[in-house]
Amino acid sequence: MAASAAVAAEEPSLRRAVTPWGSFSWGYSDVGADIFVGLGLVLGAAAGASNIAFLFAGLVYVCIGLAYTELAAAYPVAGGGQYFVFRGLGDIFGFIAGWAVLLDFTIDIVLFAWSCIDYLSKLIPILSFTAHPWVHFIVVLSVIAGLAVLNIIGVRESSAFNELVSGMDIVSETSILFFGFLFAFQPQLLVHTMQTAWPTPFNLMNGVSLAIISFVGLESISQAAQETQRPASVIPRTSISLILTILIFALAYSNLALGMQPWHPLPLDAHGHAQQLWHYLGNEENNGAAVAVLASYVPYFGALAALYVPVLGAILLLISSNSGVFGSSRIAYAMSGTQLLPSAFQRVHKKYRTPAVSISVFCGVAIVELVFAALPSLSPAVHEIYARLFRGEDGITFLGDLYAFGAAASYSFVFIALISLRFNDSASPRRFKMPFNIPMTYKGNRVEFPVVAVIGFLGIMSILVFTMITHEIGRIAGPSWIILGTIGYLLYRRRKRLPVFRSQPHDWRKAQVNILQSAGELEMMDEYLANIRKMDERRAIHPIGPL
Amino acid sequence: MKNFLRSEGYARARLVSGALFVLLGIVVIVRTLAATGAAVAAIPACALGGAMVALGVLRYRDYFTNRAR
Repeated sequence: MAASAAVAAEEPSLRRAVTPWGSFSWGYSDVGADIFVGLGLVLGAAAGASNIAFLFAGLVYVCIGLAYTELAAAYPVAGGGQYFVFRGLGDIFGFIAGWAVLLDFTIDIVLFAWSCIDYLSKLIPILSFTAHPWVHFIVVLSVIAGLAVLNIIGVRESSAFNELVSGMDIVSETSILFFGFLFAFQPQLLVHTMQTAWPTPFNLMNGVSLAIISFVGLESISQAAQETQRPASVIPRTSISLILTILIFALAYSNLALGMQPWHPLPLDAHGHAQQLWHYLGNEENNGAAVAVLASYVPYFGALAALYVPVLGAILLLISSNSGVFGSSRIAYAMSGTQLLPSAFQRVHKKYRTPAVSISVFCGVAIVELVFAALPSLSPAVHEIYARLFRGEDGITFLGDLYAFGAAASYSFVFIALISLRFNDSASPRRFKMPFNIPMTYKGNRVEFPVVAVIGFLGIMSILVFTMITHEIGRIAGPSWIILGTIGYLLYRRRKRLPVFRSQPHDWRKAQVNILQSAGELEMMDEYLANIRKMDERRAIHPIGPL
Repeated sequence: MKNFLRSEGYARARLVSGALFVLLGIVVIVRTLAATGAAVAAIPACALGGAMVALGVLRYRDYFTNRAR
């Protein structure tokens, strides 16, 4: 403990050197990779209604994005959803939200490493999951182990590399959708596919719950907020642009998959029948690399895209997988600092000064998830068991299930935290607010009730319900993760003689002043102090309970 | 890279891409509505077109806001 305190004292604070483009690309390299994974899964589940599934999840994502933008601009600290919930709803809910985020980060490590290899397999066939499952498994395992070692040593990709890859990917994806929509998109075909391949309600719910995984990773907005110059003005600008860009790519790919006439004929299916593009992209062979396969069928540009999109996609996915290793260890480190997790998670490596315990533990969890996901393809006996118990879900769908569960659970808490903070921390200046608010008075203070947060909450709750209804494994493994974690939290807090269900006392006023001061938002800090003074004066005249 | 991102050339490139997004968005909406009419099946494609127009407008707004500074 003494050692960690000494390290914390010596540890320099994060330098605020991220530019607006850096802030955008940081978020993009995290969320932008999701569509590379999500497209094939959603097409496989929601078939002709895949664009509807993406639209529903996309609208919920816009609400989530607006909530994160408001909160990250008002509280520019790196903890993201976990910090907002911790601050808005107290210790135990802060733990549960953080624990759900940790589940997502561990899945993020496996899912993106898995998908990275799937994309590479389009150029190196021996890596194909369907043809060589053992090779695929060993390579994914090596990637995760390699990322763990690199993170323990303290090697990270530079932000310039992130910016370059993000820039290249945006240009590439924009080109794909321009060529696709201008030369091959047929609205009649889109409507025909939607009418003839409309899924059952069960499959539509399944598709919607998988579509949300194309929009996960907004933690990076707050991560960037901690290191951005003047975050209150920069974050809203870059976040809105990021939200729209990601939404456009998700909607564009799903509409293209359903309504694009392929530039060259598709291979026949296993029974020798002709197949449609959406079906080809959503089958087990291609669903892990659907964007690369789709790009190769775009007119004019497809021949070139077939060569480089798998590589670009693989790099973006590898960066995203790495952000899972980095993010999980840092969130666990921060949660340990606020006594939500044992102090072991704050232990740093003697030589490299990185949170080695956290990195090892969460990469270990990721490897367990990988084994569970890969087992059905590695052993026919296990495949039988999965088929009987879990409707024969394949590995990547299992990972998608858990990813959707973790995201939906943590985002639900973020909406509640936003509403709570609007009421209980009305003194904090908000340079950006979600639109459509109802002004009202609460404990003598003027506050605004966020209508969009309620809509977003209902949307994400419905996705959580869809996940529980449609995912056999997700409905068991997701809640089990939360319940086991909560039991561990209660035991830890009891052993440490800390409040178990209540929160420890926190000096949020001092914390907020420090946050705004270190962000360089001195005008906001002055405004905050003035608001507090006014509230205190008002309370001295009319005592109405705590702030 | 940083110099390029601060240059007028980069700002103009964003302006051009913004214009392209607005145009493509309009093309997607018009073609979809022309082919399907005001059908429910047209909603996702029209939403995509709307998002493209919004992104284009946002880039224009950013450009002129930055110039005003």
